[in-house]
Amino acid sequence: MSMTEAPHTGTLQIEDERQISDTRRELVLNMGPQHPSTHGVLRVVLTLEGETIVSTDPIIGYLHRGVEKIGETRRYSQFTPWTDRTDYVAAPLNNLGYILTVEKLCGIVAPERAQYWRVIMAELSRIASHLVWLGTHALDIGALSMSLYCFRERELILDIFEKFCGARLTTNMMEIGGFSRGIPPGLVEQVESFLQIFPEKQQEYVDLLSANPIWIARTRGVGIIEPDAALDYGLTGACLRGSGINYDIRKAQPYLVYDRMDFDVPLGTHGDVYDRYLVRMEEMRQALRIIRQCLDQVPSDGPLMLNDSNYVIPPHDTVLRTAEDMQRHFVWVIKGFNAPKGEVYVAIEHAKGELGHYIYSDGTANPYRLRIRTPDFVNLQVLPYMAQGSMLADVVALIGTIDIVLGSVDR
Amino acid sequence: MSQDSDPNRKDQQTPPEATSAPAEKLTPAADGDPIQPKDDWAAASPASEISTADEPQSYRSRLGLALASDPDVPTVEPAHDQTGVQVIDSALVYTGYWGPLDESMHPAIIAIRNHFPDAIEEVAFFRDEVTVRIRARFLQDVALMLRDQPELAYRVVSDLTAVDMLNLRATPRFDVVIQLLSIRNRQRLRLKVGIDEQQPCPSLTGIYKVTNWLERECYDMFGITFEGHPDLRRMLLPEDWDEGHPLRKDYPIRGFKQYVQPGFENPAPRVRDYRRD
Repeated sequence: MSMTEAPHTGTLQIEDERQISDTRRELVLNMGPQHPSTHGVLRVVLTLEGETIVSTDPIIGYLHRGVEKIGETRRYSQFTPWTDRTDYVAAPLNNLGYILTVEKLCGIVAPERAQYWRVIMAELSRIASHLVWLGTHALDIGALSMSLYCFRERELILDIFEKFCGARLTTNMMEIGGFSRGIPPGLVEQVESFLQIFPEKQQEYVDLLSANPIWIARTRGVGIIEPDAALDYGLTGACLRGSGINYDIRKAQPYLVYDRMDFDVPLGTHGDVYDRYLVRMEEMRQALRIIRQCLDQVPSDGPLMLNDSNYVIPPHDTVLRTAEDMQRHFVWVIKGFNAPKGEVYVAIEHAKGELGHYIYSDGTANPYRLRIRTPDFVNLQVLPYMAQGSMLADVVALIGTIDIVLGSVDR
Repeated sequence: MSQDSDPNRKDQQTPPEATSAPAEKLTPAADGDPIQPKDDWAAASPASEISTADEPQSYRSRLGLALASDPDVPTVEPAHDQTGVQVIDSALVYTGYWGPLDESMHPAIIAIRNHFPDAIEEVAFFRDEVTVRIRARFLQDVALMLRDQPELAYRVVSDLTAVDMLNLRATPRFDVVIQLLSIRNRQRLRLKVGIDEQQPCPSLTGIYKVTNWLERECYDMFGITFEGHPDLRRMLLPEDWDEGHPLRKDYPIRGFKQYVQPGFENPAPRVRDYRRD
C-alpha cells in the first residue's frame, strides 16, 4: 500500500512490512493525523526496525487554509484577524509580527506608550504559549496533572487579554499605528497581580518536573540537536538556543523597546529535550522581568495611537465630532490605504522562534504577495534528524519539544 | 531523587554528550548551571557554554559559526530612538540589520562582485533593506560563497519563497526570494532570482538543509521546479491535487472546480476570477 492511499483515520496503524534480509525486518507505521500526541493533525509515517526508528516522514497540510492567498485579497487592515488564526495559542505575537511589517512598509512608528504595551502583551502571550507547550508536552510524556496546572495559570493571562481587548483566544489586539482603545482601568493591577502569583506557580512546575526521575529519563539525552545541525536546519527559538547558539532577535536585532529592557537569554549545553525544557522555563522567568520593567517605564499618560492621516484609522472621538475625520474614517474602512511600493521582511522573536512576514507591495491597497514564515513549520523539519535511531516511544517527546501548533505549520 | 536515577539512565541509553549533565542543572540558579543566564549579550558565547571538559571534542569543534566573543565581530548599537508621536524615516529605526545602504560599501555585494562579476543584475534598497537580484545560473555559487566566507557568514536561510510577477511584468514570471541571515554579523540579505515558467531553479538543498521543505512548499504553491532537489513533492496540498498551484496569480481565489454545496441545487458560482482572460 502506498503512502498516499493509506487510510487517514487510524491513530497508530501498520502500513507496510518488508523483509530486508534474513534477520532484519522493517515495519512502516502510520501515526496520526488524529493521534492525540501530535498536537493537532500531524501525520508521521515511521519506518521501524524493531523499536528503533529508521526514518520519519512528517506529512502536514491537513489544516491548510490558504492564509497567504487570502492575504492577497484582503486590505492591509483587514488581514490582522487572520494572523490570530495561524498560531492560535499566541495570537498577540502574530498580530505584532504582521503589524510591524505593515508599519515598516508604510514608514510609520507607533507611539512610545503603545510600544510598551505591545511588549507587555507580547511577553504575556509568550508565557501563555509556553504554558500550553509545557502542559501538552508533559501530558504526552505522562505527567497528566501538569496540563491542569498550566492551563490554570494560562486562564489568568487570558483574563488579562479579555480585559484589554474583549477576546481571549483570537484577540485581534494590535492595530496599525498602535491601539485604538485605551488601557482599561484596573488592567495594570491585574498584570501586577499576575506577576505576583506566577513565580510561585512556576515553582510548582519545577518541583513536579525538574527533578522527577521519570521526566529526566524521558527527556535527558533524547533528541539531541548539535549546533551546526541546528543552523543547517534553520532552527530558531528555543530549539536553537537549546543547542547553545546565542541568537535571540530581541537581543540581536531589537525591535519595539526591547533594547531598553534588561533580560537574559538562556542557552542549553546539550541540545536535548531536557535542555529545551529548561530554556523555555527560564524564558518565562525572563518574560516576567521584561513585563516588570515595562510596567515601571511605561508612561501612564500619552497617546496610544499614531496620529497619521495616511495609514492609521482616525480616533473614534474625533470621527464623531469632525467632518474631516469622519470622511477619513469612511475612506479608510471602505477603500483602505495604498501602501508604498516596495518589499519588506520583518522578523520578530515569537514564542516558538523567528516569525517573519514578507510583504511585496505594488502600491495598491492589498499586498501583492504576503508571505508568513512561521517558526514551527521550519522547526518541524528537524524531526527526522532527531528521530533517527531513537526509540518509538520517544517520538511523542520529540514532537512535543519542537513546540508546534498545526494551524501555524499549515497556515 | 534525581541523583539516584541518573546513573542508571546514563548507563543505558544516554549518548556521550549528555553524560556530563551535572545534577545541579536541575535548579537553574545554582552554581555550575549550564542555563545560567548571561548578563552581557556580547559576553555570552556558545563556546563558553559548551566548554565542559569531559565532552567529546567533536561537539565543540563542529560549531562552525562565528562566536559572539570573537573580537572582530561588530557590535550593533541599539538603533531605536523612538520618542513620541512622529513619523520618522524607518531607515533610521532599523539601521544595522541589513548593512550599509550603499552598493560600494556593503560587504556582501562587494564580495559577490569580486567573485562573480556577472552575477548581479540589480541592487535595490527599500527602507533599510537590501535586495540583490542575481542571475539564476550563479545562485548556488553565490550562496555557497556567502555561507563560507568567514567575514560574511550567511549561515542561515530564514526564508525561501516566490512571488508571481504575472501582473507586473512580462518576463521572467517568478521571483524566487531568499532571505539570508548572518548570526555572526546580525545582518540580513535578500537574494532574488528571476525564474521563467518552464525554467528550473537551482536547488539550494545541498548548501542549506532548511531549504528542503521551503522549496517543496514553493513547488507546491507556484509550480516552480527546483533542479537537484532530492524529494520534490507537494508539501501542504495533497499529493493527488490536480488543480494546479494556488499562489499563482491566475489561480482563482475559490479554485477552478465547481463544487456542489449540500443544500443548494446549483453549484456555488465562482464570483471572483483572477485569470488573465
